[in-house]
Amino acid sequence: MLGDSVKAQEVFHTTLRDAAVRAAQGEVPKEQFWLFRDARWRCLEATKADLQPEQLKLDEHELAPQAASQIQQLEPAQLAIWISSAPDPQRTALALFYLDEFDYREILDIGELKFGELCRLLVQGRRQLQAWVDTKFPEPRNV
Amino acid sequence: MRMLWLSRGQRALLNCAPISQDNPADHSMRSAVARAAGSAEFVNQQSFDRAVAALVRLIPIPPETAEWFSEKDLVVGPKWTWKKMVRTPAVLAISIAVLVIAGVSVFQVLSRLNDFPGSATARRLLTVAASTRPVMLDPVSTEAGTLSDLFFMKHGLERYDVPAEFADFRTIGCRVFEDEESRRIAQIWLAEKRMQLFLFPAERNAKTGAVLRFPGWRYVHQEGWVGAVTERSGVCFMAALRGREKDLEPYLEKPKE
Repeated sequence: MLGDSVKAQEVFHTTLRDAAVRAAQGEVPKEQFWLFRDARWRCLEATKADLQPEQLKLDEHELAPQAASQIQQLEPAQLAIWISSAPDPQRTALALFYLDEFDYREILDIGELKFGELCRLLVQGRRQLQAWVDTKFPEPRNV
Repeated sequence: MRMLWLSRGQRALLNCAPISQDNPADHSMRSAVARAAGSAEFVNQQSFDRAVAALVRLIPIPPETAEWFSEKDLVVGPKWTWKKMVRTPAVLAISIAVLVIAGVSVFQVLSRLNDFPGSATARRLLTVAASTRPVMLDPVSTEAGTLSDLFFMKHGLERYDVPAEFADFRTIGCRVFEDEESRRIAQIWLAEKRMQLFLFPAERNAKTGAVLRFPGWRYVHQEGWVGAVTERSGVCFMAALRGREKDLEPYLEKPKE
């Protein structure tokens, strides 16, 4: 969610400190994922004054049968940068979905998204990622 | 194979299909995944998602971030101070309970300290005094000291003598009755401050039968009544009135022990 590790650390500690204070005062919210939601809002708040991703219309391609092998050619850091530079809420949706720790209902809860919105963001994310890997690793043309 | 035979809702669900969960907890998702399992489109999406998720797992965690999850305390909680600890409900409740127990124990120890042979009987007689009405006694108007002869001649009670300190007071009435242990008690009602006098057998050692003596005057209290008790010749005498010790003190010749 954050490209700056100093800011990430600050958000991390602030979130935990606030959670500990709430717990000590018996004011822990009953919602299951309030801590994640809280952390997400702090991340968004921390990056509010930063340069925001441009609202560009990225190319989109249909998922190719060889997409998995194209993805495997990527460096992990490249993918991290690609996801972290996506505009929110797409960044939230992609990050939470590909962490593979939450089901779609939990992602809706944490990201405060509507189901249709999550579907659209994931479909769009896949197609944009496919377009990007197509650019980076073009399919060899059959002669 | 395309997914044309799936409903719009199921197609939407498949866009969020779990990457590695083989058996999703959500029934509608489970159903949609089962129906789409054979479609090339869905298989392709799943392999794409798995590849991305696998790559995400390989994203290196910066060393400074990894340190956050070390064994060190993530958040250093505020130190427990004595003040804070005392305010904890559990500690507060235990402290109050201990104080109450200690209070009761101290009260009982102090009560025991004031005990003397015959004190239990004396307390019971104070209850009798509180409930006695003048009509319950035989009217006798004389000096209290002269009733010793009456007790001896009429009731066969030996040494039931009223001490000199109270011998000169005028009486209103008297009676002799038996308590629950069949001991014969003499009760005298004085005109002086509606005071009552009691004469009853002193406590004896259960084995030897010897009288358990105690020196001087001892005080007992019960339900707003106070009694001054002394023992002479195996008979206890008690002067009782409603009030406090200082109301009885002027009548006692010697200071209490």
